[in-house]
This record gives sequence, structure tokens and C-alpha cells, in this order.
Amino acid sequence: MVISRVVVRAARLVNKSPIFNQITTNSSLQTVRLISTSRCNLAERFYTDKHEWVQVEGKIGVIGISQYAQEALGDVVYAQLPDVDTQLKQKDECGALESVKAASELFSPVSGRVIEKNTEVEDSPSLINTSCYEKGWLFKVELTNKKEISALMNEAQYTEFLKSDHH
Amino acid sequence: MTFIQPTITKVQPLLARHFSTVTKTSNNTNIIKRSVLISQSNDIFTNLALEDWFYRNYDFTNHHIMMLWRNNPCIVIGRHQNPWLEANTTNLGHIAENGVQLARRNSGGGTVYHDRGNLNVTFFTGRKEYNRRHNLELITRAIFKEYGIKIDISPREDLCINNIKVSGTAAKLGQPSAYHHCTLLVNVDKANLSRALQKREYEIKTNATKSVKSQIVNLCELNPRITIDDLLYVIGREYMNPQNSFQIINPTEQQFPGITEIRDTLRDWEWCYGKTPKFSVTKSFIGNFNSISKNLKFTINIEQGRINDMILYVPSGEEKVITSLKGQKFTEDIINCLECPLSGEENNLVDDKDRLVIECIRKVMISV
Repeated sequence: MVISRVVVRAARLVNKSPIFNQITTNSSLQTVRLISTSRCNLAERFYTDKHEWVQVEGKIGVIGISQYAQEALGDVVYAQLPDVDTQLKQKDECGALESVKAASELFSPVSGRVIEKNTEVEDSPSLINTSCYEKGWLFKVELTNKKEISALMNEAQYTEFLKSDHH
Repeated sequence: MTFIQPTITKVQPLLARHFSTVTKTSNNTNIIKRSVLISQSNDIFTNLALEDWFYRNYDFTNHHIMMLWRNNPCIVIGRHQNPWLEANTTNLGHIAENGVQLARRNSGGGTVYHDRGNLNVTFFTGRKEYNRRHNLELITRAIFKEYGIKIDISPREDLCINNIKVSGTAAKLGQPSAYHHCTLLVNVDKANLSRALQKREYEIKTNATKSVKSQIVNLCELNPRITIDDLLYVIGREYMNPQNSFQIINPTEQQFPGITEIRDTLRDWEWCYGKTPKFSVTKSFIGNFNSISKNLKFTINIEQGRINDMILYVPSGEEKVITSLKGQKFTEDIINCLECPLSGEENNLVDDKDRLVIECIRKVMISV
């Protein structure tokens, strides 16, 4: 138990520190394996058919848009994100992203209360294009119904979904 | 197929593509109905409300709609734009006593000027069938066939002739519907247009969507035969199923329940100005501080169209200015507010610093 907790903590450090990442690319196999497993445990993303993703840690869901959506939008020039304390229901319209003269509505993949929005993305919307899964996250919610997640697609299902014609 | 001009090789593949993809849905079973509506209203808020009404209430899955409309003089900004930066409503005092109307639309993109010489075309589809380039190709094809004018689609998806714009485009994408709309300059008053969109030289800091200034030309300058009524017919015909006819729409509450409420929201200050992304205005000038003339700088931060805070930069550093103006709408009315305490006996209550702040605010307001 103790060991596993240490591993998790180490993995968190790995995820956050760019210097650590650089070192690990040259280091032993064991460290590399540590990174890959930790990502699976901590950072599994679930997707909607509208191409939003949500990553859950405890009661908190982090929300963003997928690589596919980012590419389809083109250069994002403005991000209108939901204000903190907004109560969202699943599939609610909760903001908009503007790119090449099109305002695309944003939908919440889960229900909950907005606890934070990514002000860095508000200031530099291009982060959504350059880093849609990391620096380009959009907002965080305190989930009110964790069961909603089970109806979303995991990475493999989403990849299959993208191959189909129906998205 | 008599309208295909065999000498122009570029036209044929476009037509072919048009017929193969448009009449059928992705599963190749249902024929999509295509209708053309013409709005009888010339009021920008009514027409934007009608557009929004269709977007919210209509199922476009098997029925695509083109809406044709035009407006009395007005300035229309994009959903995430700053009217203080983009529009110059008071610069058109000669056509409307209180300046022309300003409207904020729901779609993205930049600021445009409308008058009765401008034709607006909205293409409604389901989100999956949204295809801006396809719509623009339809317009260029219709104009080429009827008037022999070749229009290019620019990389920014504007319609241009020799890199000069005849049309501006914007879009709104949601679920389950989407629309793309564009302007077509037929015989717009170009002097009014450039006055309406004239930018003023002051320091506004914002990450709101900025307009890209472009040269423009009216279609009637290229072919005097082109009039609004004629073009409306030509584009509508190209779009709709041959057996259909144009439908004239009178956007009333009776026919479109809820449209009045949408129109009221679109006209409201809270939408037109209040939805502006946060910004700051800075003015530099020489002013008296502690009885000495100094270089001063004054910044007002504005959120949701209302004053959030003010900062006065003096040679020794910066000072947050606390006034009762926090939360006030950023409009010229502020100046009237300020002038009250200066008149009459209350004058004595205003100290030098207050006087300086009032002077700063006045300088900023006059510049905007």
C-alpha cells in the first residue's frame, strides 16, 4: 500500500515536471514504464460524441476538447468559458470557441458546478490548438453524478468512433 | 444542363460536385428539401431574431433553408467583439439622429456595415451538413452564370474579386443545427460604410476578436445590371429545388412564437455592450499632480461593459482609484454623473485628487 502511494506521488511529479520528462527519455526502461502506467491510472479521458473530453480525479472533472475537434475548428481566436459557480447539466451549452469566423458552442460532458476556468486559455486561446489535452483544458467541475461518465466513450471507443462516418 | 458553359473548365467540376452531394444525405436515402425564405423586415434586430428563431426551433436534418434579408443602415459586430473598438455609430449622424443602430450577432467574425444595398444570405443546415465553402461556391456559381463575373473564395473564406472583398462571412455552430451567413455588397453607400467602421486611435487592450480591415467593391460597379432584387432571385433559384417557389416571411410573434423575446434580448444594452470581452482603455496626458505638471496615464478596466477599476499612473508609481463609479455602465452618461458634484455648493467637497480623477475619466470617455 505504502509503495503504491509513493509510486502515484512520483508519477504525479513526472507528469508535472518538464525537466523530469526530459531526463526520463534517456533513463532506464523501468522509469519509462512507470510513466506510461501512471498516465493510464491518473489521466484516463472519456469522450462525448461532440468531441469534448473529461478527465476525472476524485469528485473533480477536467474538461477540454479533443484533438479531432481542435483540428476541425482551426485556429481558435477566442474562448468564452463558463463562469465559476455556474451549475451545469450534462449536455448544457456552456460557452463557445471562435475560430475562422465561426462561433462553435461548447457543451458540458458532465453535470456539476464549475469550480475553475482556465484563464490562461482565455488569454491565449491558441493553447487549445497546441495542447488540447494538457495546457488547453477549458474548465473544471465538481461532479454531481459520477454515473454519467460510464455512458461516455473511453480512448479506444472514441478512436473507433472517429473511424466511423457518424461523427 | 444548358447553363453549363463548356469553355470554362473550372465550372464543370463544381456543378458535378454540387449535384452529387447536395441532394442526398450522408446515408444516401433521403432527398433533402431546400427552401428559400425572404424576410419582409428591414430591421436588423428582427432579422437576427428570425435567424435565431429558426436556429433554435427548426429541424434542418432533411430540410435546408436559405434566408434572404436586408436591413436599414446599421453596424453588426461579431459575437466576441468590442463595439467601442470596432463600431462608430455616432459618425453617421447625417443618416440617423442618434447614430445608426448597433447590433451584436450570435456568429463569430468581424464587424460589418449594412444598408439596403447589401444582401444578407443565411444558409441553415444540420451541424453535420454545415459546409461554408459549398455555400460560397453556390453564390459564385450563380453570379458567374447570370452576370459573367468570376468571384474567388479567399483563404479566409471571403468572396473577392482581384483580392477586393464583395462579401463577408460568419458562422454559428451548435447542436443539432448550424448556420453560415454572409453579406453581399450590391450598391452599399461606401462612404457611410467606411465612416461606420472607422477605428479611432486610442489604447484599448483586449483579447476580443478583431476585425480585419479590407478593401471592398460593390457588385453593381462590376456589372450595372446587378440589383438587389435581381441578385436575390438569381441566388435563390440556384439554391432551391426547381419545383419550389420563394416564400415571403413576415416575422411576427403570431407566426414565430417567442421571436419578440429574442428580439428584445438582441436589442438590449446587456447583450450589445454587456457581452463585450473584458478590456481596458488607457489615456496618456499631461496633468496637474500635487500642483506640478506631470506626464500621467490613466487606465479604466471594463468587464461586462461596466467599470471594474481605475488606475492612475503618476511618476512615483501607480494608484488604484476608488470611486463610486465601479459597476457603472461604460457610457457617456458617466460624464453627466461626474458633472453633478462639480456644480453648486457641493463643489467644495471635491478635493484636488477627485478633480484630477474626474478629468482623467472625462478624457478617456471623450476619446472612446
